[in-house]
Amino acid sequence: MRTTIVIGAGLSGLMGALALAEAGLHPLLLAKGQGATHWTAGTIDVWGADARSPYAALRAISETRPHHPYALIGVPAVEEAIARFRALTEMARYPYVGGLECNVLLPTAAGALRPAALLPVTMAAGDVRLGGKVLIAGFRELRDFYPPFIAANLAAQGIAARGTYLTVPSAFRRREYTTVIFARMFDDPAFRSDIGRQLRAQRGDATRIGLPAVLGLRDPLEAVAHLQNESGAQVFEIPTLPPSVPGMRLFALFQNAIEQAGGRLQIGSDVIRGEGQSHRLTSIWSEAAARQQEHRIERVLLATGGIAGGGIRTDHAGIVRETALDLPVRTPANRAGWFAPRFLDPQGHAIYTAGVVTDARLRPLGADGKVVYENVAVAGATLAGADTVRERSRSGVAIATGWAAGRMLAGLMS
Amino acid sequence: MRTLTTDVLVIGGGATGAGALRDLALRGIRCALVEKGDLTHGTTGRYHGLLHSGGRYVVKDPQSAEECARENEILRKIMPHCIEETGGLFVVTPADDESYAERFVAACHRTGVWVEEIPVREALRREPLLNPRIRRAFAVRDGAADSFLATHANTDDARRYGARVLTYHRVIGLERVGDRMIGAVCEDLRSGETVRIHASFIINATGAWAGKIAAMAGLHIHVVPGKGTMIAMNHRIVNTVVNRCKMPADGDIIVPIHTVAVLGTTDIPVPDPDGYDMTPEEVQLILEEGEWLVPGVSRMRALRAWAGVRPLYREQDAGSDRDIPRTYKLLDHETRDGVAGMVSIVGGKWTTYRLMAEHTVDLVAQRLGVTTPCRTADLKIEPSHDGAATAPHSPARAHFAILASPFYQLGHRLAEVEADDSYGDLICECELVTRAHLEAAIQSDGTANLDDLRRDTRLGMGPCQGGFCTYRAAAIWHELRDGAAQANGASGVAPATALLRHFLQERWNGVTPTLWGDQLRQERLNELNYLETLAVDRLPETGADAIGRKRDIVVEEVV
Repeated sequence: MRTTIVIGAGLSGLMGALALAEAGLHPLLLAKGQGATHWTAGTIDVWGADARSPYAALRAISETRPHHPYALIGVPAVEEAIARFRALTEMARYPYVGGLECNVLLPTAAGALRPAALLPVTMAAGDVRLGGKVLIAGFRELRDFYPPFIAANLAAQGIAARGTYLTVPSAFRRREYTTVIFARMFDDPAFRSDIGRQLRAQRGDATRIGLPAVLGLRDPLEAVAHLQNESGAQVFEIPTLPPSVPGMRLFALFQNAIEQAGGRLQIGSDVIRGEGQSHRLTSIWSEAAARQQEHRIERVLLATGGIAGGGIRTDHAGIVRETALDLPVRTPANRAGWFAPRFLDPQGHAIYTAGVVTDARLRPLGADGKVVYENVAVAGATLAGADTVRERSRSGVAIATGWAAGRMLAGLMS
Repeated sequence: MRTLTTDVLVIGGGATGAGALRDLALRGIRCALVEKGDLTHGTTGRYHGLLHSGGRYVVKDPQSAEECARENEILRKIMPHCIEETGGLFVVTPADDESYAERFVAACHRTGVWVEEIPVREALRREPLLNPRIRRAFAVRDGAADSFLATHANTDDARRYGARVLTYHRVIGLERVGDRMIGAVCEDLRSGETVRIHASFIINATGAWAGKIAAMAGLHIHVVPGKGTMIAMNHRIVNTVVNRCKMPADGDIIVPIHTVAVLGTTDIPVPDPDGYDMTPEEVQLILEEGEWLVPGVSRMRALRAWAGVRPLYREQDAGSDRDIPRTYKLLDHETRDGVAGMVSIVGGKWTTYRLMAEHTVDLVAQRLGVTTPCRTADLKIEPSHDGAATAPHSPARAHFAILASPFYQLGHRLAEVEADDSYGDLICECELVTRAHLEAAIQSDGTANLDDLRRDTRLGMGPCQGGFCTYRAAAIWHELRDGAAQANGASGVAPATALLRHFLQERWNGVTPTLWGDQLRQERLNELNYLETLAVDRLPETGADAIGRKRDIVVEEVV
């Protein structure tokens, strides 16, 4: 019977489960479905709301915003998590590059430039500092990637870019295409050879080629190297709308590492409630296929996400709840202030800062400031105190707090 | 400055203006229509889509009820492709005064509104989510109307008879010589050009804006814009129009239309048809009242809320908005104000738009000495193939012509997607908008932004509210239309970028009043898409936009 439970399969839950597994606690990760890995770009964004380096921002936040998740765990814990994450991806032969010293600016599928601290090496040649001419290449069949639009917007920002469409080789044609279908095709060397030849023919004087982030699920490094050889240019991936192939790679890599370390993942189990006494959680109930199951537990890492992940839920009357354990939630003072009038308001929308308040050990606190359960730690977007999408810190907060929560629950960090 | 000459100028591209244009054209009268936005941009595109049986007004406003009952039958006959025969129910809920039902039935008989009482059990069999505690149920001939499609059908048919339609033309002045109107001066919002239109007669069909237009001629009309708020739920919680059997009030009707069901509505007088807000209290009120019809409705998923402004005309003091008659009023400025060459048509319902147009054009024709009778009640409106009428020929057109219309119902769309196996071409999965639909709509004349595409194709109107298709549509727009603009020397980000941002904002205005639960969750995913993955907030601002449009057209409705 596994008594260490992680709830949630996003980055924070995965990172926490890894920490608990490596501590020898044989965690069971329960999740309602796939987590945010499958929806998002696959980079680790530590801070990007302004021009500061992630490191400078982390230090400033820990001094000036004591309730921010980064401040709760402290800069050294963030650095430790980043280091562990990098080591993990290197071991898995899907290394992430970059660091906290400065952000890399990467082209998006709208031709904007977004900052990231760590990025898979398959995206590294997208770094705008590299200069030279860029060819953006895609497929008409892929609905979520438009080279002419991307190139036009990059060009407007001073990057010499041109867009083109490639042809899906006849042997690979099918009725419907998605990012995942393209990724499987890119796993096939015959497909890559054909695409590589088209790229060589079309690249002109471009020295870098941006493609949608669909360059294989099995061995993307091999795919990128193959395309570079064939085309004679540096090749890089640009993240697409969901489903995210880089995110799926990341999930697979974590799953493998967690299982190797003695943990287990069970996707499709919705945790619906918990029960405890005298400040200890003793049981949780999960539901799958309309059957409930009780888990007697020693410790729980709650990483069910925020509003997008379903860990925090609101109703029409303005009530905001934490959905798995019904922990107390801090919400914006008034319902009328949930949303700013402008969708793209740089300050964001107040409702997205709602979440569970914790102490420095990430244990949930009640309105009275007392710990609700001593054997529960909260990580990722379930935490109150930050709109991580506006800060461009979502994945950074996820891995940092996930790691810290796991280590603290295991008694290895204080 | 361009100059244009016509016999009759219709101001307003809503249902009434479009109906008047068709009526004029069918009588062989030279005519043109100007609209400051896209067709149906005003109240017509913002109503719940009810084809009135008349039942709603039998007790309170019998004249309006009679008109609705007659026109209901005519519209079913002349444009069946715009109408879904859902049928309607009036139900007595536990909150309603039971004695009203008898008055209701008697008034239906008096006004010629068809009604039949059905057993409560039968009503519940038809509509399983209906409140099981209802006490009586009456079937009527309500229906659901596609007001976008119907308006386009009217203008397209008018064009076949030579009428001109000028969208994104804002009237900036009316020309009056002595006691006679002789034309209007417009601004073409796309080019900034001034267009002078000489006309022998002007029809002011601007609904809630009629007072503003009349004032340009020095005339006074007291229009009370009555704001009505509506909420679209994410599926058809009912398949029949369901009304509370009581005096019309707030939040007492549910209209199933296309893929959604619309809860309506409120009625709040507002001083200005161009400036009004929805309040959370209104949304709350509609949901709470909706609970009497469909218990649990407030916990279901709401997609979007919006408000339209009724063109209520006030002749003398009425107690409240709801006391102002819903029938229409034709104002002949010659007899009323001593100014010849202009009429204003105000009040009325979507259901009576054709009758209003007929009545208006009868008067205009008489003044012009035209004796050809009205034929709009008999002559069926052929489904239009439009954008096509004016769009450049493209491969998409051929494909497109298979469809009766780009504005067709979802069932037809699904059949077509299945027949062509074109799942891979779906740009908006929620509303089954294929790349071919979208490309034809982008290339059709008069389309100025993605919100126009929404009205034309239902792009972004489904459960995800533009989470994916906004990006796709903007990028496809760029490929089809930005090229010309950039060849003309435009620099800066792709012009379609501004359209993308504009549409995201338009969408946001509509969704915020109903954001909670699953829809808020969806919205956060949309934020992840547009901010985290695409970073559209980090793109530089667009400069002067180069499709020949001025910027204000794109940002007009941004709060």
